Amino acid sequence: MSDFQFLRRGTRRVVAGREIRSLLSEKTIVLAIVIQLFVAGFSSFLVVGLVSLYSPDDSQAGLVDTAVAGDDTDDLTRAVQQTPGLGVQQYTSREAARGAFERNEVDAALLAAGGDEGRIAVTVLVPDSNIQTTLVVTQVRTALRTYEQTERAQRSDQLTRATLDPPPRSASNNYFGFTYTVLVPLLLFLPVFIGGSITVDSLTEEIDRGTLELLRVAPVTLTEIVEGKLLAAAAITPIQAVAWMTLLEFNGTPIANLPWLTLLVAGATVVVIVLGVTLAIATPDRRVAQTLYSLLTLGLFGMTALSPLSPINAAARLAIDTPSPASYVTSVAAAVVAVVLLVGVRQVVPWERVLGE
Amino acid sequence: MNLRKLLRVARWEISNTAGTLDRRSVLLGVAALALVGSTAVAGVTGVGTTPNDGLYRVGVTESSPFHTPVDRATELEPVSPSDDRATLRVVDTDPTDRSARVVPPQTQKAQAALSAFGDAVRRHNTQLMNREENQSAAFPVRVTVQYVVQSDTGVSVDTGGDGDDDSNNPSDGATTDAATPADDTVSVGTATPAVTQSSDRTTVDGQTGGDDQTPRRTATAAEGGGLFGDGDDGAGSLFTGQTTGSPAEIAPPFPFGSLILAFLFLVPMNFIVQAYGSTILNERIDRRGELLLVAPLSALDIVAGKTLPYLTALGVTTVGVTLAVDGGVLSVLAVFPVALVYLGATFLGAMFARSFKELTFVTVTITVFVTTYVFVPAIFTTIIPVALISPLTLVVRDLQTGGVATTLGEYLFSTGPFYVASGMLFLLGAGIYREEDMFTQRRVPAKLLDALDAQLSGRLSVLLLSAALIPFVFVAELLGIAVLVTFPEELTIPVLLLQVAVVEEVVKSLPLYAAFQRDRFERSYAAAVVLGVLSGVGFFLGEKATAIAQVVGLDNLPLGEAALAPAGLGPGTTLGLLAAPLVLHVTASAVAAIGATRTWRQYLLTLGLAIGLHFAYDMSVVVVLLE
Repeated sequence: MSDFQFLRRGTRRVVAGREIRSLLSEKTIVLAIVIQLFVAGFSSFLVVGLVSLYSPDDSQAGLVDTAVAGDDTDDLTRAVQQTPGLGVQQYTSREAARGAFERNEVDAALLAAGGDEGRIAVTVLVPDSNIQTTLVVTQVRTALRTYEQTERAQRSDQLTRATLDPPPRSASNNYFGFTYTVLVPLLLFLPVFIGGSITVDSLTEEIDRGTLELLRVAPVTLTEIVEGKLLAAAAITPIQAVAWMTLLEFNGTPIANLPWLTLLVAGATVVVIVLGVTLAIATPDRRVAQTLYSLLTLGLFGMTALSPLSPINAAARLAIDTPSPASYVTSVAAAVVAVVLLVGVRQVVPWERVLGE
Repeated sequence: MNLRKLLRVARWEISNTAGTLDRRSVLLGVAALALVGSTAVAGVTGVGTTPNDGLYRVGVTESSPFHTPVDRATELEPVSPSDDRATLRVVDTDPTDRSARVVPPQTQKAQAALSAFGDAVRRHNTQLMNREENQSAAFPVRVTVQYVVQSDTGVSVDTGGDGDDDSNNPSDGATTDAATPADDTVSVGTATPAVTQSSDRTTVDGQTGGDDQTPRRTATAAEGGGLFGDGDDGAGSLFTGQTTGSPAEIAPPFPFGSLILAFLFLVPMNFIVQAYGSTILNERIDRRGELLLVAPLSALDIVAGKTLPYLTALGVTTVGVTLAVDGGVLSVLAVFPVALVYLGATFLGAMFARSFKELTFVTVTITVFVTTYVFVPAIFTTIIPVALISPLTLVVRDLQTGGVATTLGEYLFSTGPFYVASGMLFLLGAGIYREEDMFTQRRVPAKLLDALDAQLSGRLSVLLLSAALIPFVFVAELLGIAVLVTFPEELTIPVLLLQVAVVEEVVKSLPLYAAFQRDRFERSYAAAVVLGVLSGVGFFLGEKATAIAQVVGLDNLPLGEAALAPAGLGPGTTLGLLAAPLVLHVTASAVAAIGATRTWRQYLLTLGLAIGLHFAYDMSVVVVLLE
């Protein structure tokens, strides 16, 4: 296990410390955290906003007055009455209901008429240019589904299959899952992406300014410098990820399996940083290195996200506490790939020669 | 500026960039692009894992008919009911009947699982019915959704509280026309006029009564084609949801459409802008830019020349994406100013940044901010007029078949701040495109002061700069409105007014502080008062530009009214009310200017005073107007 010795030796830690101090002194790390805070805040704003738009219970919009008119509307009226958040106004004719809707006396109108092949055609009028539109459509749809069930039951003698009874309405908002499938992965992997980007910058800059050459007179080898930088970036990212998850926990979103999530993030960080280091050294300038880094990270991340070992899905399932064996395997795989890369890069790449050029 | 010189710099920039590319990088780049492309294609076509695979475990016996829907739903994973990892258990005592009891624990997760289970059962039912012979019995109800503009609503958002917002607005009748842009508008783009129902669809006839006068939009993507409007009869477009079909098929307007758009346009821009930032910062490393600086070229020539290739690339990308989403001229015209701001902000960022690391953060910050600004309001595209502050709203309209047409006023309202802001960003950056700022490691705040100071010359320039910074104020305030609009009114108005006061006072006095600190003007109280007054006057005149806001009826929104009323633009404006904001701006900025002649601390103190003054004034005006 002599390969891990380098993590313990002093010089790398000195370089890593210098790297972290430089990040702190430039206040760039603060900016990075501000960005993430903004993204997180923005995402929760979206969740709150969407929930209040979509979920009738959480909305302050109150009752949606619905005009019902047309032929034989008893069942339709009953369906509307059964839907929470909808109030019924019956009108004698479709024209009257439409008029009432246009004069803004009701928030929505359901106009029923006989359609082809014995169907019932319902025209739904909902307001345009109004914040309630989405809410109204969602609620009216619930009522219409109930109505469809009733009508279907009356025609059951013409059907060969029977539908299943849907379960009772849930008290949940539809965006509970959103927190775990979007927000959690975002907060976990955004620091990873930024971490790799910092490494690219840090190295290209030293190469560009020629300061890497200067360091050669110091009692450190170039390999140690590169590894020190690697260490610094690899240390910062998992700390950020843990901090975010703790914050979410404080905010009332329970996060399970934090050690596994940390392992996943740490593994991903090392992979991305090794990619960054390689590109910074292999390509001529920052423009090329950063562009390639962004594209490759994006592509690789997208590819793995579609594979059975998707880091996004693993993060979501681990955090929501429904992990599958694949979720654990993903975490372990990330860590194993990271170690292999660390050791491999160290063994295979002749740093001194590459950097000396 | 000299066109020939400018083009020469541009040519030099291109050949220089091409020179840095070696074959290996190009090959890697092509491979990376192919990887991203194929991932995107795979993702869109729905191959592979999705983030929500197996999020909830549902305990259900294999013999139960409820096993199939659970098994088919990606979000759900069926397990044995005795499995204690199950989030939800389906108790099906009699597998031969069609019902079962569900016992969810009272946790959020179980409720979410229940909701997903309900969706799965309904989807399963629809699939069952799809296989029926007798389709009219299987789907006995056919629904057509029509989005109709209601006559009296204007555009005010009903927050459920007091309903008297409109009643005390004497100009209501006059502004309603402008506020409902559906009627009588001049079409800028290729938007087709309101589409009515095509005759082959099952619709209700018989309500011919008042139909014709009603501006009505049945947003079926009847004309098809393109990513956002394709599909035949009944398939919904991304922006309006599905509008015809059985109740299960009806989809409410989907708010994420504009996010997808934002990503489509902004992600490719991001790469170009990143390279642009690098090239600017590159000039500043090891005094590389010195050769250009000593050449017989003006700073503007150099900046414009170096920018031109990237601007062209952004233009080409915008047109490409527009063609890909099947947009029209309006889409290009709407997105281009966004690209300009993106470029301008990156330029200024690259002038300020001390290292590549810092530049990366600056670029990410700009990306996040621009994306947010164009995205948040556009969610409400079909809903509220605030949406118009984002040019993406215009793109959404352009893509919607039968969408609302855009007037020239609306276009200017939406993109005007972007044009002016990008111009200012470039000017500020070009002002410090000089040796002492480029090649030194000055702190960012010091550079900001330099940049502001560089725009000033005589006293009158204070007036001009103050007015020219208005777009930034406007953008900041509109973003505030857009974010706060979803919250209850009583809470948001004070917060909004405080934000307005802070933003406006800082913008008015910071240039003065910069000028005093750089010894451009004599540090006397008399000079401070004079310059403060000038700055206040300039701001007041600039603020009158917000009169454009009335064209699109932003003032009909209570929040918009709150933000604009103190500027004397609210309803019931009298001469007194018009003079009052002038007095306010002049006094407040004179107060702030006095401290600006001294130290940073004293400046902060007087700035705080000015903000307090401004806030108190705004608050009282709004209270008087809204009471």
